[in-house]
Amino acid sequence: MKVGIPKGLLYYKYKPFFTTFFEELGAEIIESPDTNKEILDLGVKLCTDEACLPIKVFHGHVEKIKDKCDLILVPRIMQVEKREFICPKFCGIPEMIENNIKDLPLITKAPIYSYSADKFINWAYETGKLFTKSYVKIQKAFEDALKEQNNFKEGIDHEGFQYKIALIGHTYNIYDKFINMNLIKKLNGFGIGVITHEVVDDSIKHMEIKKLFKRPFWTFAREYYGFASYAVKNKLIDGIIYLSSFACGIDSVIVELLKLEFEDVPFLLLKIDEHTGEAGFDTRVEAFVDMLTRRKRGNLA
Amino acid sequence: MYYLGIDVGSVSTDIVVIDENFNVVESVYLRTKGRPIKAVQEGFKIIKDKVKSADIAGVGTTGSGRHIAAFLVGADVVKNEITSHAVAALSLDKDVRTIIEIGGQDSKIITLENGMITDFAMNTVCAAGTGSFLDRQAERLEIPIEEFGDYALKSKNPVRIAGRCAVFAESDMIHKQQLGFAVEDIIRGLCEALVRNYLNNVAKGKDIKSKIFFQGGVAANKGMKRAFEEALGCEVFVPKHYNMMGAIGAAILSAEKRSKWTNFKGFEIADVNYETASFECNGCSNLCEVAVIKCEDKVIGYFGDRCGRHSGKVAV
Repeated sequence: MKVGIPKGLLYYKYKPFFTTFFEELGAEIIESPDTNKEILDLGVKLCTDEACLPIKVFHGHVEKIKDKCDLILVPRIMQVEKREFICPKFCGIPEMIENNIKDLPLITKAPIYSYSADKFINWAYETGKLFTKSYVKIQKAFEDALKEQNNFKEGIDHEGFQYKIALIGHTYNIYDKFINMNLIKKLNGFGIGVITHEVVDDSIKHMEIKKLFKRPFWTFAREYYGFASYAVKNKLIDGIIYLSSFACGIDSVIVELLKLEFEDVPFLLLKIDEHTGEAGFDTRVEAFVDMLTRRKRGNLA
Repeated sequence: MYYLGIDVGSVSTDIVVIDENFNVVESVYLRTKGRPIKAVQEGFKIIKDKVKSADIAGVGTTGSGRHIAAFLVGADVVKNEITSHAVAALSLDKDVRTIIEIGGQDSKIITLENGMITDFAMNTVCAAGTGSFLDRQAERLEIPIEEFGDYALKSKNPVRIAGRCAVFAESDMIHKQQLGFAVEDIIRGLCEALVRNYLNNVAKGKDIKSKIFFQGGVAANKGMKRAFEEALGCEVFVPKHYNMMGAIGAAILSAEKRSKWTNFKGFEIADVNYETASFECNGCSNLCEVAVIKCEDKVIGYFGDRCGRHSGKVAV
């Protein structure tokens, strides 16, 4: 069986798990190409207008590979952490895909509750039975996949740069070079190194959020806030760039939280949408870099 | 010795020549009309009779078209608008703490302390409340944009206009018009809506301290200046060359660079025949839209490719 994996949404985070799982079950993996203009155009055309850019891009990826595979992974990720949630659009993504895209092959629809292996394995059984009748085999694929995921070294932590910023945002914005107009490379070109939230250990993030008046509702909020708080406290960074997709509800909350809490830290919010013209984006990045470097040197010119 | 500053913005292209003390010697303000190369050339045609190319010791470009302009004229400094505006404002007054800048497509706020930028923000992907929106409304009401501000000042009873989004504002305006409200009341209401939008959106959470400078093309609009003053409760200063501040800043930056020589190609490029074309590059799946600049059938530059496959080929 050929399994299509669209390179969108949480692909960048959970690729090792899904790839290993399907491969162990004997599937041939067909990955969509990196996001490009064609995929963006397809996504924008197919998806409802109100959705955010990453959801649209995901549609484009599905459309691009749908004719080449028998099953497409459309992960309905409900919860990755107990008592926390992720974006509601993830809960409904299989329905969005089904209603927006015609002539689909099979898609995975079982919900994913990945905060405990006991819950998570239900997804594996539900999905794995398309490949084999053997529960043992599914279980083994699942366990190996989990192992692979746990060994996966996530995140960016540049060394050897004069300045360093925390690049905060959803992984599908940070690692998709097309959507973010090659932001990381641009920053490096200006002599700015980048550190991302995955680098800081989860247990530290859990500690950091304790000072908030309540625990965050969103997993993303806990991760980003916890990371920023730790990075600022330990003087790991000179500033924060938040990369956000236009109309992201979760980001709108996290951005305000960060801005309020770390008032004295240079902060730049970059919003991305369908734009491919880079002038406006570059201006903001350049001005931010100017501000950072001049602040440190202590003169304007 | 003179320094040249060029600000190629979405709506206007401004060219200034300043002397060593940063006084404006010559200035040209033109509409870009979507043709940045032509606008720069037009400007040069006007300036070349007054200033000799040989007297120019440095060139700076800024604005969203700064890269193409830099390429065209041979710039020594290519700087973003934020830094340029701040440099220009500080050269006039060291005590400026807040800069409100509203241009054709962008609106910005810059906060400064001890002559350094401490924070800035720009409008996000939405261009509501910027110059091009005011332009459009002026055109729709058949009022010359230059008189827009005077109309606003005539009003006694501003009408409330929705300011969140340009589309909302326009439909709200039309509805109020159809109810028979006076044009000046609607225009003043629009100014107030735009100021409200700016303060809630661009300047959200920013500490607006005086002295406040209001620059960019929209600062010409007296109605906007007054609406800002009313909303902020303090005086807002509009510098003399409010619509050229970006260009002045770029010129100052080129002066401060103090390089021994300049890349300036001379005002004579005004008479060169440039042509532009574009194509979609098939080199990879990015399918970049690449703009080509030609001079007498010879390709002299490429813009817009992400990887540099084309733009790296021609020496800029």
